[in-house]
Amino acid sequence: MNGPSTRSGGLFRNNPVAVMLVGLCPAAAVTGRVIDALWMSAGLILVLLLTRLSLEILKAFSFPGSGTGHMTDWLSLLFLASCFTASFELVLGAFAPDESAGLGIYAPLIAVNCIVLDRLAGRGSQEPAGPGEIGRSLGQASGLGAGFALSLIVISLIRETLGSGTITLFPIGSFGGTIAVGGISLAPARALVYAGGGLLCLGYLAGAARLVRRVKGAERA
Amino acid sequence: MAEPHPDVASPPALAVSPAPHLRGLVSSARLNWSVACCLLPAAAWGVFLFGLPALRVLGMAAGVSLLAELITSLAWGRITVRDGSAMVTGLLVGMLMPPGVPLYVPAAASAFGIMVVKQSFGGLGRNWMNPALGGVVFALFSWSDSMSRWLPVRGAGSAVAPLAALRDAFAGGKAGSGGLLAVLGAHGYPWSATDGRVVTWVNDHVLSLLGASLPRGVFDMLVGTVPGGIGEISVPLLLIGAAYLIVRRVIRWQVPVTYLVTFCVAAQLFGGLPMGRGWLAGGVLFQLFSGSLVLGAFFMATDPVTSPLTLRGNLILAASLGVLTFFLRYFGTLGDGVPLAILLGNAVAPLIDRFTQPRVRSAGKGVIG
Repeated sequence: MNGPSTRSGGLFRNNPVAVMLVGLCPAAAVTGRVIDALWMSAGLILVLLLTRLSLEILKAFSFPGSGTGHMTDWLSLLFLASCFTASFELVLGAFAPDESAGLGIYAPLIAVNCIVLDRLAGRGSQEPAGPGEIGRSLGQASGLGAGFALSLIVISLIRETLGSGTITLFPIGSFGGTIAVGGISLAPARALVYAGGGLLCLGYLAGAARLVRRVKGAERA
Repeated sequence: MAEPHPDVASPPALAVSPAPHLRGLVSSARLNWSVACCLLPAAAWGVFLFGLPALRVLGMAAGVSLLAELITSLAWGRITVRDGSAMVTGLLVGMLMPPGVPLYVPAAASAFGIMVVKQSFGGLGRNWMNPALGGVVFALFSWSDSMSRWLPVRGAGSAVAPLAALRDAFAGGKAGSGGLLAVLGAHGYPWSATDGRVVTWVNDHVLSLLGASLPRGVFDMLVGTVPGGIGEISVPLLLIGAAYLIVRRVIRWQVPVTYLVTFCVAAQLFGGLPMGRGWLAGGVLFQLFSGSLVLGAFFMATDPVTSPLTLRGNLILAASLGVLTFFLRYFGTLGDGVPLAILLGNAVAPLIDRFTQPRVRSAGKGVIG
């Protein structure tokens, strides 16, 4: 496959949360428990990929104006992202009501973050649609989605471990789903579970990302 | 603070430094160490009343604070432990803690104050929040139960700070009449025996001639023989330290006075309302001597790094602090309102600076003014 690479660098180099500072709202809000971060990330990746795929299919059928940054492009993006988000929300609410409650208002907000990330992934993809083009587009979207997930998981691990002294995951078999971190769980620093703690972790994550970039830049120079 | 960089041998012709722009012979190190010394009497009083546990809390807070400063400044490549600001932070954290607190709380509060609140923002002079208060509020949010583990004075009497006891008394719905001390007395708050002797003597020999009498507890509150934070209970010793700082012009007397007066006016006018006692019944003298109000007003609201630059700005801030403290203390649930109020004040200090900056007259565009 020629042309621009499939990789968006979304996982590290262009991590949406830590480097590009988008999607901060869920990154600060639903990272109090690891499980919430996992569901949020899963929802976003799912919606992002489905939206991207549908848009590429629309482009392949050459709808008038699609794929040229025209208003119809935006409208279809809005429509598709909202549809898939609503579906995800309904399915989650039906089959995993507790997790759905954990996400709260931030589940519908997946649509917003999906649109932002989609615009980042879809940059420059205005060439005629073809199998290679679809692969590239999906690759970029999944890179950004994975980067989003990585940031959320890192933040939620720090916040939940220090702020509640636990790590909440899925219950599997005899494992109840919650790991208690010895020592900290007796007197956790609850301040980290509050919204301010989320912003604090976010700030340090962004700072760490900049530090890594600076060190790498110095190595290259 | 205009601190010469160690690499610079002679003072530079033009020193560019972050606010506050203090000029004169006093270096920031001397300033900080003198503040630390002025805090010592009140801290020593806490150790005298509560014994070894208080000393341990103070030592832990100061030790971790200095250690955190050392570690972070090593990472910076510029050792700043000797400027004394970490000592002041550690001491203040310890003084705001109750003596019975588990030792990890002062340790975490000091580490948070130095590493997150101060050093993450670039070190002394660049922190927008008072490090000690940042650490203490972090502890208040995180371990609110531990933050009310007071100890009885010299091993006897109640282990509940008067302010908290008062809150409990009013929560019971049996407010009673009379002053706040009378309410506490009616709920069986155990004042010290010395207090009993002094108050009885004054009532019998002095005030009876005037037909008046003092309630029990006045002596305890004035001298500071009550449960509370290690360094916040002794108002006279805090005032002695503050007086020295005011005489040496390290702090401006206008700031704490405005703060306290605004608080008193607000508290006296409206303070009785949430307790169901009507207007003008806030019991302001009791409030003035309880909690960390005096410590906060003289030693933390006056922090030159986190307060506005001009006197006018400082007065505006001090007045808002008084009102904020009143609201947080009477309607809030976290602590005694002082730490949170001063932190909120720190947050708006740059905004106040923006509106109180002296204007340069007849300056055209492009001129700093």
